[in-house]
Amino acid sequence: MSVMLTKFESKSNRVKGLAFHPTQPLLAASLHSGSVQLWNYRMGVLVDRFEEHEGPVRAVAIHPSRPLLASGGDDYKVKVWDLRPQSRKCLFTLHGHLDYVRTVQFHYEMPWILSCSDDQTIRIWNSTSRQCIAILTGHSHYVMSAQFHPKDDLVVSASMDQTVRVWDISGLRKSTPNTAPGTFDTFDNFSTVKYVLEGHDRGVNFAQFHPTLPLIVSAADDRQVKIWRMSETKAWEVDACRGHFNNVLSAVFHPKHELIVSCGEDKTIRVWDLAKRTAVQTFRREHDRFWVLAAHPELNLFAAGHDSGLIVFKLERERPAFALHGDTVYYVRDKYVRSYDINSGSDIGLLSVRKFGSPYVPPRTLSFNPAERSVLLTISSDNGMYELATLPKDVVGEVKDSSADGKRGAGQSAIFVARNRFAVLNKTSQLIEVYDLTGSVVKSIKPPVQTNEIFYGGTASLILSSTSAVILYDIQQQKTLAELNSPPVKYVVWSADSSQVALLSKHTITIANKNLSQHTLIHETIRIKSGAWDDAGVFVYSTLNHVKYCLPQGDHGVICTLDNPVYLTRVKGKTIHCLDRSARPRTITIDPTEYRFKLALIRNNYDEVLYLIRTSNLLGQSIIAYLQQKGFPEIALHFVEDKNTRFDLAIECGNLDVAMEMARAIDRPECWTRLAQQALRQGNHKIVEKAYQQTKNFDKLSFLYLTTGSESKLKKMQKIADARGDPMSRFHNALYAGDIEGRINVLREVGMYPLAYLTAKTNGLEDIATEILEGAGLTESDIDDVPDFGRSTLRGPPVVTDTTNLSWPSIPGGESFFDRALANGNLEATTEYVNGDTTAAASAALDEWAKDEEEQDLVPDEDGWDLDAGGEARAEEEAEEVVEEEELGAGAAPGISESEAWVRNSPFAGDHVAAGSFETAMQLLNRQLGIVNFTQLKPLFESVYRSSRVYLSPVASLPPLELHLRRNISESSLSRVLPVQVVTLRQTRQELGDGFRLVSGNKLTEARGVFRSVLQSLLFIAVTSNDEAKEWRDAVTLAREYLLGVSIELERRRIAEAEPDNPKRILELAAYFTQCKLQPAHLQIALRSAGQVFGKHSNFAGAAKFARRLLELNPDPRVAAQARQRIAAGDRNPHDAIEVDYDEFTPFEVCAASFVPIYRGQPAIRCPYTHAAFKPEFKGMLDPLTELTEIGAVASGLPAPR
Amino acid sequence: MESSTLYHAKQQFYLGAYKALADLPLPDAGSDDYVPILVYQARAHIALEDNDAISSLVPPDTENLALKAVTALARYVSASDADAALEELRDLCVEIEGEDVEATEREKGWVRVIAGTAFVRAGEIEEAMETLGAESSLQNLEVVAVLVQAYLSIHRPDLARKEFDRAKAWAEDEILLQLIEASIGLVTGKDSYADAQAFFTEQLGNPSLTSPHLLTSRGVTRLLRGDVIEARSDFEEAISQRGHEDAETLAATVVAAGLVPKRADVEEVWSRFASTYSQNPLVRDVRARSEQFDELAAKYTVPPLAIPASA
Repeated sequence: MSVMLTKFESKSNRVKGLAFHPTQPLLAASLHSGSVQLWNYRMGVLVDRFEEHEGPVRAVAIHPSRPLLASGGDDYKVKVWDLRPQSRKCLFTLHGHLDYVRTVQFHYEMPWILSCSDDQTIRIWNSTSRQCIAILTGHSHYVMSAQFHPKDDLVVSASMDQTVRVWDISGLRKSTPNTAPGTFDTFDNFSTVKYVLEGHDRGVNFAQFHPTLPLIVSAADDRQVKIWRMSETKAWEVDACRGHFNNVLSAVFHPKHELIVSCGEDKTIRVWDLAKRTAVQTFRREHDRFWVLAAHPELNLFAAGHDSGLIVFKLERERPAFALHGDTVYYVRDKYVRSYDINSGSDIGLLSVRKFGSPYVPPRTLSFNPAERSVLLTISSDNGMYELATLPKDVVGEVKDSSADGKRGAGQSAIFVARNRFAVLNKTSQLIEVYDLTGSVVKSIKPPVQTNEIFYGGTASLILSSTSAVILYDIQQQKTLAELNSPPVKYVVWSADSSQVALLSKHTITIANKNLSQHTLIHETIRIKSGAWDDAGVFVYSTLNHVKYCLPQGDHGVICTLDNPVYLTRVKGKTIHCLDRSARPRTITIDPTEYRFKLALIRNNYDEVLYLIRTSNLLGQSIIAYLQQKGFPEIALHFVEDKNTRFDLAIECGNLDVAMEMARAIDRPECWTRLAQQALRQGNHKIVEKAYQQTKNFDKLSFLYLTTGSESKLKKMQKIADARGDPMSRFHNALYAGDIEGRINVLREVGMYPLAYLTAKTNGLEDIATEILEGAGLTESDIDDVPDFGRSTLRGPPVVTDTTNLSWPSIPGGESFFDRALANGNLEATTEYVNGDTTAAASAALDEWAKDEEEQDLVPDEDGWDLDAGGEARAEEEAEEVVEEEELGAGAAPGISESEAWVRNSPFAGDHVAAGSFETAMQLLNRQLGIVNFTQLKPLFESVYRSSRVYLSPVASLPPLELHLRRNISESSLSRVLPVQVVTLRQTRQELGDGFRLVSGNKLTEARGVFRSVLQSLLFIAVTSNDEAKEWRDAVTLAREYLLGVSIELERRRIAEAEPDNPKRILELAAYFTQCKLQPAHLQIALRSAGQVFGKHSNFAGAAKFARRLLELNPDPRVAAQARQRIAAGDRNPHDAIEVDYDEFTPFEVCAASFVPIYRGQPAIRCPYTHAAFKPEFKGMLDPLTELTEIGAVASGLPAPR
Repeated sequence: MESSTLYHAKQQFYLGAYKALADLPLPDAGSDDYVPILVYQARAHIALEDNDAISSLVPPDTENLALKAVTALARYVSASDADAALEELRDLCVEIEGEDVEATEREKGWVRVIAGTAFVRAGEIEEAMETLGAESSLQNLEVVAVLVQAYLSIHRPDLARKEFDRAKAWAEDEILLQLIEASIGLVTGKDSYADAQAFFTEQLGNPSLTSPHLLTSRGVTRLLRGDVIEARSDFEEAISQRGHEDAETLAATVVAAGLVPKRADVEEVWSRFASTYSQNPLVRDVRARSEQFDELAAKYTVPPLAIPASA
């Protein structure tokens, strides 16, 4: 144990008492100053303070199941407090002690409070009646501590009188406690001193029972920690732990491990091995004496109080070392490497690493190598070391220990960088060494910066973490590829497709692409614990108290809250797989909708957005705000019901129709104004017009009409202006409309005669001008001094384009997709999920694959059982030794080519063909199966040959290497390699199936071709087991029977056509056809055809026989009915018109050449390959069925399987 | 330490990204990288069987031995005057052995590699080995690569392995060394071709280059491992990445086609391949076998077909 991991630290007055809350992250601390503090140590905040005691508070306890806190102080009082947040107050005070109260404790099930005091007594109080129910007397000095036994009715106390006492309080439980106060005598009946443990030479400060074992630990001023054992009848000292050099003030058992933690005035906290009683670790503080210790009842947490505050610490890292590969998590629990399959949930121990580093320290990191199935672990003990160990293929019985074959070395950080390379960082020498799997260094790298940790950085690259930056470093080139500023990176998580990486620091996450060229940074106030990539490319991470997500562009949010930290391993669909603090696999179900939705938005995957809108209840202000903020108002529009928001969104995304609709519904001037502005911006003047009309904005309306050239509307505006009696408006409208008279009228009406006159004058309206003059009582001469302005050229602008009826075209926006989809509701929910929701189809396809592969796999396995393997291996070793002696260089003689090896290793013709040894192949075929006619086999020879080798040129311009395809790839020794099976039994079976279909389809000529080709293919199969040999023979026989049957039937049809006057032969052939061993379906066809032919030729008896055989095969009802008719006909007329050579009662075979029966006992010779029977006269001739073999030739048959 | 341009060029050359390398702009004639990159580029052209490009690429009056060797190799490969080219390479080999020759160790290495390549092509394995292995303390990985392949081609993987192990002692963990290891693995089938498979897969993930040749190589490895379907997808991807079919990938595709259960088009693919690349070793080999077959089959006398006399 090299580190004590401080989780929380507070500064305060001297801390004398501590108590953990059993379930919440709360810690009560009683202070010398008189207050009791309640800390949330996870968040690091002071939750509350209880300040009613006078003088120091030494004792504090929290109830194991109820929200109660007890405290005891130097004011002799024991106080009980309500811990519920809404009502934190003192419930009652227990008076009775006559001196300082040293410790208090709640009983785990009874309503009892235990306290001890300097008044030399231990008291038990009933918290319901708030009465003292027992006083334990016997100590002759201060009682420094008193603790209940975790299960039994025992109390252990420690006193300055140098003893530890164990008290039996079982009497207390049985009897009704005495309610009369003050009668101390009766108390003694309930409790007796069971043992007095003497051994300490000074006062004892603390004693505690072991949570499960019959052990007691005590701490005393004699600087020792003593361990005591109890039996039913006695108790004795087991051993003492020596090492503190001042008073030991507290000692507690570790709740889970075999450890004792003690502290004292020598300013140290010490950890001891309970079994060996040796010091494991010492944690020293410069100035503060440690007064008190508390262990968390459930978690790996301790608290220690000292002179200037308290610390909460862990003795070991809880973060389990783990690595993910596919759907399997490899992790370390209790110093065992385990694998957990997240699909099947199978969780198995694979390897023990107990002997790796200190036994108290779990490995820190694990790197997994799938190709070698090995793991690389690091541990922080012994100044950092690594171990490389292979995992067993399957665990049977005891798992092995890594020390058996593991390779170890020093280093702080170690990871696999390639299948057969790993890199180790030595922090002190600042050297990264790359090793191969045998443990020899292949490369040394001096990192360009002070590196604290290394991570996998993609192919041939490392990520180096320094104090202020991360560096992507190319191992081959030894140079920095990219550098990012970041706080120290603690963990690196690659996405499944290695395109993105998350760099986790204490409070930041950097999401970057694989070159670190693009990145985004997220800050967290709470400590970040772990993270994993969702299959869709969202990074999900956990902090101390939350599971959160982070999108590639940096958006992040909360998914759910956590009670306790977890370490995420894999996110799959709605399930988060993680390891908890005790390294047990757990799952958390989450709702990924929100982040999927956001991700879909970012990726413009509107199908998915829509899918999510439809299938989930994603609503609420936050999503709308998000959409609006992220520039997707058109999508937000679809979520919103509220009119105002809808209007705002519609304006924002320029959806004028919706905006218009909403404006109508809201009907407030601001809306119309905004609508008008937006519509104007988009050039939709019709909506502008409406908006202006609604707000009665006449001026703008008129100007709008002017700009759009809408003369008629301008006229109307004039009228309106007239009606309103607004001269300014009238003038404007007249001006816009080019209505000169109107203008003059307005001017006249408002008494602006000079302007009216000039207007009339300059527009050539002399009459009106004169009229105005007259009206003003003037004559021409009066205005002589007015210069002549000439004729006005001012006209209303001519209308060039008929804009009135047009609207500025607008581009259909992105919302059209949603409009369409949401309006029609016809968008099918066909969206396929990347993330594991609907992958049924894909997995079915995979299953198929897997099946194929399983079948292929069988072949090499069986080879492994080769019985004479041992002998061969020995021979081969010898051969290798001989080779060793030869020198490298120019004189090297060519070796044995793989083809030659194939020929040597196999007695099968197919393998010889693959090896290219056609000559031996032909000899084998001839000898084994009597093949003489090879011409038809040429295509097969060629295809087998060329499919068993492949060429590749690894080095430029050199002739390519000839590579040989093997069927036993696990074998690399030349004496056992065998060529790939180009023709497989499986495949021939398929081919047979094709033939059957052709037979059913009455395509007999084609069928005959197929069966022949099957028989040809079967020649090239090498059988590897007896089962296969049998299968092979069955396939040959089946093909032969069909070939024979088809040939007979074809012959019958030929005769029926060529010599219709030979009914006897026709009938015979039909009957023989039924004798071929066909499958029931095909036999039915043969029988029906025979029955029909026989019936036609009035051989009713024969027909009936076939019909009976047919019925035995359970044909379908229609056929069965027909058969019964035949039988009936046969019964009526049990005669045959034509006598045929067909004796169904004597077994016979059909000669495959002449198609005549060879009854049992008659001589026959056979085809050496198919075993088809022939009449003796055909001996030495070519088998007409297969056209391959010489009839009656001597052959040895297929060699034994191997 | 070599410059990163040269490093990339080498990587491209070793991993078969010949097209990308050939398209690379040449550095300035005065720079240190000029000759090395020119050598690799020229060799990439030769590997692409684009021998005409050499004459325009390499200055004809060059005094540089390595460049001379490249030119000679181009001539040898294009078979314009093969014998003369071979002789020239022999002369160059003698020249680099001389005391006062003006060539760096690296250039001498290239001369050896190039000459060795030509000798292997000519079938003069022994001569090639002499050229390459005369001083096996040379510590030149390219030499080792050619040597190893020469050993493999005469079915001596044991010697190839030895040469590789020897190189491992001095060469750092370079890509070429790994490639050599992978090729040995392909021939011997050690650990079910795991070395090769891992190497090619790793290099496919290499961000600094894309090489269809790597895909083909991995496909071949997968084929050897019996993963025919995966192999085919690699070949298809290689062809689509390259933009056109090449003999090696197509040949492998043919092999793969012959191994899948459904073999509908295999004959057609084969005949197309055989007619396009009549000089491909596979095609030549099969052609030879086919002639041999006819000869051998004729040795067996085929008796008359058994036909019933009565019919």
